[in-house]
Amino acid sequence: MAAVVSLKHVIKCYRRGRQVLEVLHNLDLEVEAGEFLALMGPSGSGKTTLLNLIGGLDQPTEGEVVVAGEDIDRLSGGELARWRSRHVGFVFQFYNLMPTLSAERNVELPLLLTPLSAAQRKQSVDAALALVGLTDWRKHRPNELSGGQQQRVAIARAIVADPTLLVCDEPTGDLDRQTAEDVLGFLQQLNRTQGKTIIMVTHDPKAASFASRIVNLDKGALVPAPAMASV
Amino acid sequence: MKFLPLIWAGIWRKPGRAILTLLSVANAFLLFGILQGFASGLNHAVAQTHADVLLTFSRVSQVEPLPLSHVDQIRTVPGVRAATPLIPLIATYRTPTQIVPADGVDPKQILAVDPGLVIPQSMINALANTRTGALVGRNMATRYGWKVGDRVPLRALQIQNRDGSQTWPVDIVGIFTSKGGTLFANAMLVNFDYIDEGRASGGGTANVFFVRVDDPNRAAQVAAGIDRLFANSPNETKTATVRQIAQDQIKQLGDIGFVINAIVGAVFFALLFSVGALMMQSVRERTPELAVLKTLGFTDRGLMGLILSESLIFCVVSAAVGLGLAALLFPVARRTIGFDVQAGPLMLAGLGLAVALALISGLPPAIRAMHLEVVDALAGR
Repeated sequence: MAAVVSLKHVIKCYRRGRQVLEVLHNLDLEVEAGEFLALMGPSGSGKTTLLNLIGGLDQPTEGEVVVAGEDIDRLSGGELARWRSRHVGFVFQFYNLMPTLSAERNVELPLLLTPLSAAQRKQSVDAALALVGLTDWRKHRPNELSGGQQQRVAIARAIVADPTLLVCDEPTGDLDRQTAEDVLGFLQQLNRTQGKTIIMVTHDPKAASFASRIVNLDKGALVPAPAMASV
Repeated sequence: MKFLPLIWAGIWRKPGRAILTLLSVANAFLLFGILQGFASGLNHAVAQTHADVLLTFSRVSQVEPLPLSHVDQIRTVPGVRAATPLIPLIATYRTPTQIVPADGVDPKQILAVDPGLVIPQSMINALANTRTGALVGRNMATRYGWKVGDRVPLRALQIQNRDGSQTWPVDIVGIFTSKGGTLFANAMLVNFDYIDEGRASGGGTANVFFVRVDDPNRAAQVAAGIDRLFANSPNETKTATVRQIAQDQIKQLGDIGFVINAIVGAVFFALLFSVGALMMQSVRERTPELAVLKTLGFTDRGLMGLILSESLIFCVVSAAVGLGLAALLFPVARRTIGFDVQAGPLMLAGLGLAVALALISGLPPAIRAMHLEVVDALAGR
């Protein structure tokens, strides 16, 4: 399989006052199309930083980041934004939905950046909401939904534009165990039935067990783990 | 259009705060509408006055009477088409607040003198043939419920009747509808002779002469000719066009345009901070949401456009509310003070001001949103 994500000799530094802090050290990583990768590691190990680089939210200090065939470390801010809208779907720990918009309007947001007509957008939104089982909740605002439902709206928003890659940052960190398992099961199903490439950051070994591969990150360096058996 | 729900949701994120700010902006535009309407009404009223109508007063003061014989001499000045004397009989009707500006005029001359006055000849004849007759404008007749045939007892504020009373009974013989530009739109016309011969003192005089000239371009020369006629006499005159006199009277009130602009300017300066603070606070509160929009692929300029659009829609809607309320008051102003406000240009100016307000107050928060560092914002830094 071809690599959807390829990181070579990536170094990421942050400036904190006078100090320059190297968060990722000469890191190499490849993620193949259709993989469900779990990124694990203790707090401060650089998981979210790595995820931000892969998702095109941040750029490396040194090294090369190629995602979906694009050398994204060379893109300008505007180009990177347009690239993200085409290739990456994001799922956050705290859902990050627009509180003033209904579920369907939240899901529609990425499609506003496409040339699709209103009818086409509605069709895609309907399909995404049906996929996450929230067709009946389409008119509800986030504060009228449970945590699990909100996360499913967030997942619908992430997949509605059919991105190349799904990037999830602790997607079950704010959910109870049962709801977390439902959400993880759904992500796994998405990976298996639709071949969606997913990269998920998690602290939770149980959550990581839903992935097809686990990579450990420690103090900014990758420690590969053996592939997990299917759960 | 597809971004409208997103923009609208941003505006109404905090409904209470949005409504209060909307009311303050609408209130400012209501003030703008009324004040500018007043100014434009004054300008319009001046512009509507005829440049070919002159008024001749005493050089000493406008209340100083002039001999009635002046009118015949004025008619001999080259360029004068018609002239009539006038006695202003300021009176009240039933209550002291029901002011009736009645003017004693020569019925045979009044149509020739005032080109803005459109009264059927039959009404003029009725006035001329009825010593106590009176013609009233439609607005005044409606206000007091008068109709033709009514006898109205006017109570003069200054001119005493020969019988020792202040009462001047008049009989309504016609109700006229004037077109723009007449000085008598809100006045009552009565016979000059009725007032002049009936008053206890001052008979054979007039306070002002109305003069119509043949050519408005020669109005200044004709005015000078009239004043030359009475130069060095005991009753010297001062003649000017109605427009000039109206402009002079407005100037006596002060520079109304400057005062109005100063008030409106101060209000809008304060409003800039109010709307600017609302937008800035709104953007600050939505930092994580704006970061998410950037994450989803909204560009810096796209986000800036969203915030500016919010500001624009909010200000234009608020301004429309305020200007709409002001427009509802324009007919009232027309009825009460006779000003014909030019609403179209006023609305356009108001909306232009709303756009300027939106852009100036929305720009700082829009720039802040544009420069938002998405990684820091998502991390809550």
